[in-house]
Amino acid sequence: MHQSRGIRTLRTIAGWLVVGVFFFPIYFWTTVAFRNAKDIFNWPPIFVDFEPTARNFEQVFGISLGFGFGAQEAVTPGGGNFYMAPRLWDSIVIASMSTVLAIVVATLAAYCLSRMHFRGRHEFVNWVLSTRMMPPVAVAVPMFFIFKQFSLLDTYLGVILVHGLMNLPLAVLLMKSFFDDIPSEIDESALLDGASRWTIFRRIVLPMAKGGIAATAVLCFIFSWTEFLFVLTLTQTSIKTVPVVSSTFVTSIGTAWGNMAALGAAAIVPAFIVIMLVQRHLVRGLTMGSLKQ
Amino acid sequence: MKDSIRKGYLANITDKYVRGQMDRRDFLRFAGKLGLGASALGMGFGNRPFFGMSSAQAQEAYQPSPDVIAWLKDVGKPFAGTTLKLATESTPPSNAINSQLKKYFEEATGIKVEIEVLPLEQVLQKLTLDVASSLGTYDLYYIDQSWAASFSQDVFDPREQYSAKADLAMPNYNLDDFLPALVDGIAKYEDRWVGVPYDIPIFIMIYRKDIYEKLGLKAPATLEELYTNSKAITDQMGPNTYGYAGQMKSGHYALECEWTSFLWGHGGSIFNADKKFSGNDEQGIAALDYYSKLRAIMPPGVDGWTWDGQGQAVAQGVAASMLSWGEFFPYFDDPSQTKISGLCEAVVPPQPIALRTVKETGYGEIPGVGHQGGSSLAVSKYSKNPDAAWLFMQWATCADTQVGITVLGGGTGPTRSSVYDDPRIKANARVGAGTTRHLQVVRETIANHMGSEPDLPEWAQISSDTIPVGLGKYFAGGYGSSKEAMDDIAGQVEGILKG
Amino acid sequence: MAVAQVKRIAISDSPIPWLAPLVALLVVFTIYPLFYNIWLSFHEYFPRKRAIQFVGMQNWQQLWEDTRFWSSLGVTFVYFAVALVFEIVLGMAIALLLDAELPGFGGLRAILSLTLVIPPAIAGMMFLLMEDAQFGVLTYILNSLGLLDKTTPILATSSTALAGVLVAEIWQWTPFMVLIFMAGLRSLPAEPYEAAMIDGASAFQMFRRLTLPMMSKVIAVAVLLRGIDLFRVFDYVFVMTSGGPGTATYTLSLYAWQQTFSFIKWGYGATLSLVSLAIIMVLANIFIRVFKVRW
Repeated sequence: MHQSRGIRTLRTIAGWLVVGVFFFPIYFWTTVAFRNAKDIFNWPPIFVDFEPTARNFEQVFGISLGFGFGAQEAVTPGGGNFYMAPRLWDSIVIASMSTVLAIVVATLAAYCLSRMHFRGRHEFVNWVLSTRMMPPVAVAVPMFFIFKQFSLLDTYLGVILVHGLMNLPLAVLLMKSFFDDIPSEIDESALLDGASRWTIFRRIVLPMAKGGIAATAVLCFIFSWTEFLFVLTLTQTSIKTVPVVSSTFVTSIGTAWGNMAALGAAAIVPAFIVIMLVQRHLVRGLTMGSLKQ
Repeated sequence: MKDSIRKGYLANITDKYVRGQMDRRDFLRFAGKLGLGASALGMGFGNRPFFGMSSAQAQEAYQPSPDVIAWLKDVGKPFAGTTLKLATESTPPSNAINSQLKKYFEEATGIKVEIEVLPLEQVLQKLTLDVASSLGTYDLYYIDQSWAASFSQDVFDPREQYSAKADLAMPNYNLDDFLPALVDGIAKYEDRWVGVPYDIPIFIMIYRKDIYEKLGLKAPATLEELYTNSKAITDQMGPNTYGYAGQMKSGHYALECEWTSFLWGHGGSIFNADKKFSGNDEQGIAALDYYSKLRAIMPPGVDGWTWDGQGQAVAQGVAASMLSWGEFFPYFDDPSQTKISGLCEAVVPPQPIALRTVKETGYGEIPGVGHQGGSSLAVSKYSKNPDAAWLFMQWATCADTQVGITVLGGGTGPTRSSVYDDPRIKANARVGAGTTRHLQVVRETIANHMGSEPDLPEWAQISSDTIPVGLGKYFAGGYGSSKEAMDDIAGQVEGILKG
Repeated sequence: MAVAQVKRIAISDSPIPWLAPLVALLVVFTIYPLFYNIWLSFHEYFPRKRAIQFVGMQNWQQLWEDTRFWSSLGVTFVYFAVALVFEIVLGMAIALLLDAELPGFGGLRAILSLTLVIPPAIAGMMFLLMEDAQFGVLTYILNSLGLLDKTTPILATSSTALAGVLVAEIWQWTPFMVLIFMAGLRSLPAEPYEAAMIDGASAFQMFRRLTLPMMSKVIAVAVLLRGIDLFRVFDYVFVMTSGGPGTATYTLSLYAWQQTFSFIKWGYGATLSLVSLAIIMVLANIFIRVFKVRW
């Protein structure tokens, strides 16, 4: 499609403006991470002009960066109240592994649901979708008892299972719609040539659906990354993810806003890396899967 | 030079430095004369005593008593290798133990301690699941005073433990050292001790001395004075500075806490002797009317604040006084965090207009303007290592550890009488981060002005939902009158108690 | 093309091995909780007795008289409808806007998805801080623009509190819609547009006649996924207003959470969850029928 230069300029500006509005809270929150408490609460609020401190990050990561004001001393390595670095690792492990689990199971199912015709398929998809409708509050308590039975409480495996599961309906639905976009004539001609379903799936359809898988994986990763209730209920002291430990900052005598923002800002980074890695596939894959070119 | 004098001098020059009355080079030179390496110079700035101190400072301020360590080494041997678990709210004692102190216990005994820090209601949920399934996941329970009734049968009575296991009893542990008011208000349910008092946040009156002096006001001695003083400040200094900041977030426990304080202060009570909700009687209505009157001179954002926003309002100079948790006081004195270091003063809560006796109330509530929100620590009956847990519990609540908690936890209130008199605590009674200069007020408030909420299993719902939601609706204009609001709350409370 | 032949081969393939892992996982982890909750809704946990006891229909009867339940239901529907409409419309508009290779747009698309990475509870805290009546930066901006009176605290005024919470909700989830719509837009075939251009159709006509119909499946998926979650989400309300002032922002999901976690009424909590489940199922089925979604 060809647009005049004026429209293109206007569109560029509008794009930047809209994303700017959405980005502003994140910008502000990130600056809070570099502030002392007295620079967080002000009227009029301070936007840029504050004395930056790395203290919040130092405490969250248990390291001394040695920048900021005054003669700061070393923070307790690995022992402070707000030492959260291992929790970031827990989050990464759980989010990636549960994403792999959800994608593997969902891709198989979605391919089948996209290509095979059997009675009750529509109802079957509806049922899969309906498993996401149960409020998590209602699932958490029975899950606790199941996990206790199978000694899954407070283990990586347990949380990975439950997060993978929680994302299955979403992944199945999205993957199915991506497979639907790939013309089924390709499969059919391969079938006529005598290829098995499995070969077609692995050699032909899967590579074409890479973009869709990437998009779905990003969403699964994000939902696991931000999930709160299951981790809260099903873990004790050995593992915890970022959303759950964030509540540590809300103490009985006030909220450590700076530290909370520091962890929040730090937690954006790994997830953003995942998005960026996938972003290339996202753009390329999705256009490749279409007939656009 | 004596250690205490040295510390006092250091605090003094630190404050000067922080206020810009001394430059950095001079400061470092003076500090060097005091025999302090650069690593110990954190005092007063950069650190966060509000949330615990850093390690270098910790070693400077607190070393565990050799007697306690020797005892731990002695009795802890058979339990080496055991792991103990505790779920707790993010409070100063738990944070100080978790980040600074537990290493002493672990080194001496070989017992590993894992502390899970959670929001208060999550602690309740975890304990309930533990109790419901007799899991024994947690060896120790952190029990908020409002849950004492629910968990009284699930924990050991520390008095029995102490006498039954003489070989494990800590010498000089002294159960009688716990402030009697706290034992009654927090730990005791009927005749049992549900653990020992572990933490005591309590309402004290904190006000800006400089503003009060400027306007020729005296610290509020009565609730009426609190209002007139606050109004005078708001009238003259608003909207930059208001006389008082409340904690009035609708639907939040904070609102219930503040309301209770005023209710008791007007001679009312939550339940009367017939165990009926009595917030809607004559005194109850007077209390709510007073609260509305006071609200009118508070900053407009107050309806959205818990104690967090309230504390920030005072810390940033938006409000000149608050009746709230004493733990905020050391935070206000910390020049790196607030604009009002050294400007605040603490006094006991205002005198009530009238006060009911415990007998005139239901469910063991203790009327008093100094609302307390304490908690106790107890060994679970389902624990698989009750003896190791009992060792930890004695250590965590002994006088020496409490000194450490108070020094490292940023001036939180101890639950033992002897700790208030400890020289290490008194040495910190100067302006600056982690001050303990408010603790004598805390002690007197506990002894003479303390108010405790009732003990009943439904209280969690009534206190964190029914009452603060009703009050929030009232303050948002959802009821025609204070009477109508209170009658409605009364009806709902009755409904909960019946169901 | 030999349609019949292809169909025969397709049917002869068994879907069972493909679906087995999915079904196995879903049955274990969702069917059991469902029956457990149905069972629990006829029981109640009594903290004093340490026991779950049979209470018959009591929880279900209580529902009818529970004014809090009914008012929370109303708030939930408003929250659901407003959030969904805003997220769809804004999401579609932004997706169309950003679906071009203009300077920096690749980066913009990635930055936009950052809002999703923040845990909802933290996003709630962010907006709580920004909407604070005394110190909030959003309050300040609205004051400066003359859109808000300083004496009106956004989150503590009955008429504005829900809007204040919805800002956080819409801020966080509009990019979710953008992400899905963008994926859909990028898979649209180019030929119909080229034909329409030759016919001289306007941009709006093309959007209505081509984009919307071809995107219908993607839109349906997005609406279903977000719609379901909107009934379950409570973090923003919980963190920002605790359902207040009064019960002005008190939602059904918050109620179910509080009954289960704060008041330890597992039976009544389960009942509320089942009601919520039933409502979502009915709504989703109506949606699927009305919009003739065939999977």
